[in-house]
Amino acid sequence: MSDANPLLRFDYLVDQRAAIVAAVLEHLELTVATVALGLLLAALLAGVALRWRWLRPTISAGTAALYTIPSVALFALLVPSTGLSRSTALIPLVAYTLVVLVSAILDGFDQVPRPVEEAAEALGLTPRRRVLRVRIPLALPVIISGLRVATVTTVGLVTLAAIVGQGGLGRLILDGLRRAFWTPLTVGAVLSIVLALLLDAAFVLLERRLAPWAVRRTARP
Amino acid sequence: MSDASTPAVRLVDVRKTFPGAEGAAVERLSLDVPRGSVVALIGPSGCGKTTSLRMINRLIEPSAGRVEVEGRDTSTVDPIALRLGIGYVIQAVGLFPHRSIADNIAVVPRALGWDRARIASRVAELAELVGLEQDQLQRFPDELSGGQQQRVGVARALAADPPLLLMDEPFGAVDPVVRGRLQQELLALQARLHKTIVLVTHDLDEALLVADRVALLDRGGRLAQYAEPDRLLQEPAEPFVTEFLGADRSLRRLALREVGELSLRDGPVVTRGTDRATARAVLAREGGDWLGITDGVRFLGWVPAAGLAGEGPVPEDDLEAPAALVGPDDTLRAAMDRIMTARTAVAVVVEDGRFRGVVTLELIRRALAEPHTPSPQTPPSPEPSPEGSR
Amino acid sequence: MSGVRLAQAALPRDITLREWLLDGASWTGEGGILPSLVDTLTLFGAVMLVATLLAVPTAAVLAHLGRARLIGAWLVNVGRAVPTFALAALLVPISLRAGYGFEPWPIFTALTLMALPPMYLGTYTAVSGVDRAAVDAARAVGLRGRAVLRQVELPLALSIILTGVRVSAVQVIATEPIRAFLGGDGLGRYVRDGLGQRNTTLIVGGAALVAVLAGLVALALAALQRLLVPRGVRRLQAVGASRDVPA
Repeated sequence: MSDANPLLRFDYLVDQRAAIVAAVLEHLELTVATVALGLLLAALLAGVALRWRWLRPTISAGTAALYTIPSVALFALLVPSTGLSRSTALIPLVAYTLVVLVSAILDGFDQVPRPVEEAAEALGLTPRRRVLRVRIPLALPVIISGLRVATVTTVGLVTLAAIVGQGGLGRLILDGLRRAFWTPLTVGAVLSIVLALLLDAAFVLLERRLAPWAVRRTARP
Repeated sequence: MSDASTPAVRLVDVRKTFPGAEGAAVERLSLDVPRGSVVALIGPSGCGKTTSLRMINRLIEPSAGRVEVEGRDTSTVDPIALRLGIGYVIQAVGLFPHRSIADNIAVVPRALGWDRARIASRVAELAELVGLEQDQLQRFPDELSGGQQQRVGVARALAADPPLLLMDEPFGAVDPVVRGRLQQELLALQARLHKTIVLVTHDLDEALLVADRVALLDRGGRLAQYAEPDRLLQEPAEPFVTEFLGADRSLRRLALREVGELSLRDGPVVTRGTDRATARAVLAREGGDWLGITDGVRFLGWVPAAGLAGEGPVPEDDLEAPAALVGPDDTLRAAMDRIMTARTAVAVVVEDGRFRGVVTLELIRRALAEPHTPSPQTPPSPEPSPEGSR
Repeated sequence: MSGVRLAQAALPRDITLREWLLDGASWTGEGGILPSLVDTLTLFGAVMLVATLLAVPTAAVLAHLGRARLIGAWLVNVGRAVPTFALAALLVPISLRAGYGFEPWPIFTALTLMALPPMYLGTYTAVSGVDRAAVDAARAVGLRGRAVLRQVELPLALSIILTGVRVSAVQVIATEPIRAFLGGDGLGRYVRDGLGQRNTTLIVGGAALVAVLAGLVALALAALQRLLVPRGVRRLQAVGASRDVPA
């Protein structure tokens, strides 16, 4: 038995390499689309929360509540209205990134030191310049670490999007489970784990590049 | 638009109330800041000194009244343009942590659209002016000490050579030793640049040291007295001022006056070779137990009264070295310190090695009792700035 | 060996949500809602118990000793990055080949690993963030290391520790339904069956059940936390909790 159905059969890997590559690309595509849309929406929500302060608790609580909805439930709930389409996967995926991204943006802006903002204003920088040159750059490290968490989480959730017929590597996993044929399952699971870890590491590097002052600061004793 | 007699900053009946706050933060404040002078706003917390400062560059808008900078009503000037023309230094420095020191200094010139070469040479010039090393310019603020950061803050405020500088507790965040050094540097800088400076502080000594005039505000932003430091100490206008200045007000005055301002006298001092009888007569007239000997130029030392007995010229073989030496630039407080610790009860004033006279406690006491004379310094007109910022 | 069951006994396709939820047979008996709920809560309880026992004491002791800061942070990051569904799936054939079946080891292991990072991080941050002055004072009056941990550090850190546990619990209860797609059952089975049978009633009803349970667990834990933490400490550390523990 174990010979016929080992955890990994190399001939399958060779035969199916095109399909595997396609699955990885689809997985990445869905992840990138999710995080990009999530960032856009989160920026809007954070902008609203910063502009109208009294809305902030509502927005924070709302995005947090979305996050507590079980992923299986959120994917499934949309099936009756959007069918087994890409939107059915995208909507919940984007919704899950919001809690991390909105709070990262707000935290990022919060931790811009008050004296720095005050100095920027007092020296005569325009409101636009203050946002673009001072607040956003200083919020960037926190926002990037939010993006990191959101991206990595999304890679994991995209695997689950297979239950509504989407999401690259997850389909290999479900396919393997359905057929009790372990090779696609192993390939799908291992690759999605590797993908998550690689993206995680990539963000660490990105953070170092984009916020050298913060890295130098933490590097000091 | 303005001539030399127009004050650099003028507040006219300025009032500020904050929504929800009881009473006014600043109550009908009127104040003229003469061009080229340093004015300190001081008072207990809640006196509205920072609020007043921030109304000058419209970080806070007055609820009523008028603020003029260089003769122009600030409410008619675009706040961004106004602020670009006014230097600003705050207690927490507020350097941009994500920018190099050079970029921090260049913030305002860049906002004014200067070209790169001009910015680079200005940054180098300012670094030199405030005492920063060239190799520090490419570092990040976090890599500098508190004192150095504050120097960068001053350089940033001076970058576009604004005639007016606002400073909000500029040295409040550094330790006393560094603070003292930065205060001296500010004085030296001011002696070169002749800016108009409005400075908020809660440190009375700092106000008395760096300011030409002190505005003492009471709670609720009422101006209790606006005067030169010495006059403030000598003639407090009301009980609140007396109380604020504290019981050691006279001691503080000592710190403001210099030995060179005294009409120095020769005191119990004779030139070498004077005969002992004459010397005894001088000592009897001047009082004290010690007689000083000079060679006509330098002060040689002290002879105890007992050493003057007998005949012949005053002895020179066993002179007591002068323990209390002061220069004309020393404060009366320093002179008094030295007098108190010297056996001779007299401090010798020496300038460039030459004997100038002696200071006694009596002389100091009399100087403090004299009615206040306004300091002779008239505020110098601002240097024509080669890089006028507007 | 057969594949994973992805559909159970079919319901009539035209059954309404109301009919399904009001029918007593939906709730009890083989594959009913109540046994499924018990199933889910049992797994949830076991995961939380084991994960808490693993993460909290380890983190507390390491933080008390000031050890393993870097390796801990690294493990937490890796642990958070690994997709739970993929990990659980990967464990399924391994469990089967070892003779342990579809359930519960793969899902149990994956959920436990998912629960560890927030709790570990929360506890570590909380204990090492306890005011040094309080710790020094405790040492100064002669408390030994373990007593310092038990009498000073843990009580002061309790609020943030519980926040970490709560975050883990919410994640676990929200992720548990994936087991229905990994050869198990639990409350997620109705969503799976609904998807398999194209039965909207089951999909929506199943999703609602799962969502309501997650919401109730989240609320209950929040209430429990308020109850457990002395008010003084709660106020003291409310600020720190939101920032240091990932949501």
